Amino acid sequence: MDIFLQSVVNGILAGCIYALFAMGLTLIYGVLNFVNFAHGELIMWGAYFLYLFISEPFSLPLSVAVAPAILCTVCLGMVMDFAIFRPLRKADRLTLLIAAMGLSFLLRNAAQFFWGAEVRTYGLEISRGFQFLGVSLTAQQILIIGVTVACVILVYLLFFRTSLGKSMRAVSDNLDLARVVGINARRSIRAAWIVSAALAGTGGILLALDTNLNPEMGVINLVKAFAATLIGGVGNLWGALLGGLIIGLAENLSVLVISPGYKDAVAFAIMVGILLTRPYLVTGKRTD
Amino acid sequence: MNVPQGENGPVLLLEVEEVFAGYGKIEVLHGTSIRVREGEIVCIIGPNGSGKSTLLKTIVGLLKPTRGSVRLSGKEVGRLDPQEKVRLGMAYIPQGRNVFPSLTVLENLQMGGVSLGDAGAVRRAVEEVLEEYPVLKGRVRAQAGNLSGGEKQILALARAVMTRPRLILLDEPSIGLAPRIIEEIYNRLQEINRRGVSLAIVEQNARKALAVAHRGYVLDLGVTRLEDTGAHLLDNEEVRMLYLGEKGNGPEQEPQDPGSRR
Ligand SMILES: Nc1ncnc2c1ncn2[C@@H]1O[C@H](COP(=O)(O)OP(=O)(O)OP(=O)(O)O)[C@@H](O)[C@H]1O
Ligand SMILES: [Mg+2]
Repeated sequence: MDIFLQSVVNGILAGCIYALFAMGLTLIYGVLNFVNFAHGELIMWGAYFLYLFISEPFSLPLSVAVAPAILCTVCLGMVMDFAIFRPLRKADRLTLLIAAMGLSFLLRNAAQFFWGAEVRTYGLEISRGFQFLGVSLTAQQILIIGVTVACVILVYLLFFRTSLGKSMRAVSDNLDLARVVGINARRSIRAAWIVSAALAGTGGILLALDTNLNPEMGVINLVKAFAATLIGGVGNLWGALLGGLIIGLAENLSVLVISPGYKDAVAFAIMVGILLTRPYLVTGKRTD
Repeated sequence: MNVPQGENGPVLLLEVEEVFAGYGKIEVLHGTSIRVREGEIVCIIGPNGSGKSTLLKTIVGLLKPTRGSVRLSGKEVGRLDPQEKVRLGMAYIPQGRNVFPSLTVLENLQMGGVSLGDAGAVRRAVEEVLEEYPVLKGRVRAQAGNLSGGEKQILALARAVMTRPRLILLDEPSIGLAPRIIEEIYNRLQEINRRGVSLAIVEQNARKALAVAHRGYVLDLGVTRLEDTGAHLLDNEEVRMLYLGEKGNGPEQEPQDPGSRR
């Protein structure tokens, strides 16, 4: 029973992080109608930006370094859009896909150039877990849940209570209609990149706190975020949240029956399964 | 049917002159011209694929004309973005998907008012519009995607009047709707027009639109083929044959039941 409960808790923890990734990915998917395959690199760079600010010459305390790290991730997201995706706004999906993959490759290599391919950590002492109902939770893990809940509340307030957020949802529904009713589409798209990158950076930092950093961390998590996005439906923020939790739980519960070495394959299998049954999710929005 | 008169006849609101436009390399409009005067209802008819929707998209700024000019109250607006045209008093209701399906009815109306600026102005406009369109009142929390076709069209209309436009462009407002709903939509449109708003209506099903229009244009293969008053066009043998689905055995023929047409 304990191991089952522990798996559920681990699943929720992983799911929280996947949900942050997936919400950012689905937001861009909805607003710009393409899958940003470089989203994983925002996750990875978010984690490395924090590493940068806690190391020489900055040597900031971790809690302080979070702010500039997320700010830098947001800037990276905006530069991505400005330099690559904006000039390609009218391009077809294949061009966008290839551009995003090229960008992803470039950013991964850049991280490897600066920090090497080896696995790094923020150098925190390994904290002993709190025991609770036979389940162990570290302080970092409690932080993961707390930060995720806070992000979800902020996302809700932004998208359902502010005019800017509603405009972003409108652009996601129908860009041309949004433009003709007078919505500033450029501003909405810029805001979507900011939110998407901020969620990616936050998730990346939480993931690195709980595990470690390496230049490949973005790619594998992109697969999970993408699978979660597919579960939730294109552009559906709550669907992505739920999808993230489902992927996290499925992975961690699978460990009970199959070897942990295959854990990552679970998200992959879910993704392939959905794509086989609903290929239009990638080839284009259904026009109904 | 009283159109305001300026010193030299009716005041021109919209002038589309010799406009060329299309999608990338595909040119659809090859020098199309239409005019809409203040307070006027103008109907644009024509066969499938003749460029009616393209013309409206070009007027509203979703497409940019490669040549020719679009003037609003004498001011050249051909290069402006749709967002700027909304501020100049233009509203547009596209053919088909014309509401934001994942937004609520209330949010759809609020989006219609984004160009009003401050939140207070938007709130007041929403209240006014809901008074004018009481059918929407009970449904403000409903997702627009779950509305019926008629309700969607009413919502689109209500959203368009949020900014109190001077000109509304409508692309097939009656498409796919039951006769009773079409009647209601057209009553609404005439009511809006009586308050001085000009309307440019594109219709496939032209009889209804020509009956309420002051003037009409026939568009074919991207050029303006005919221009006349709505009543004259309704009487025109060629128009009746080609666009109203009649067999052309004289003007005395009774209008057919729309259901029996191809
Ligand atoms: N997005 C597009 N890209 C390329 N060509 C298009 C596009 N939309 C329309 N066309 C083409 O432009 C031409 C005119 O289309 P348009 O939609 O303006 O016609 P329409 O008169 O509104 O027809 P309908 O009565 O069917 O609505 C058609 O040949 C159509 O195939
Ligand atoms: Mg059309």
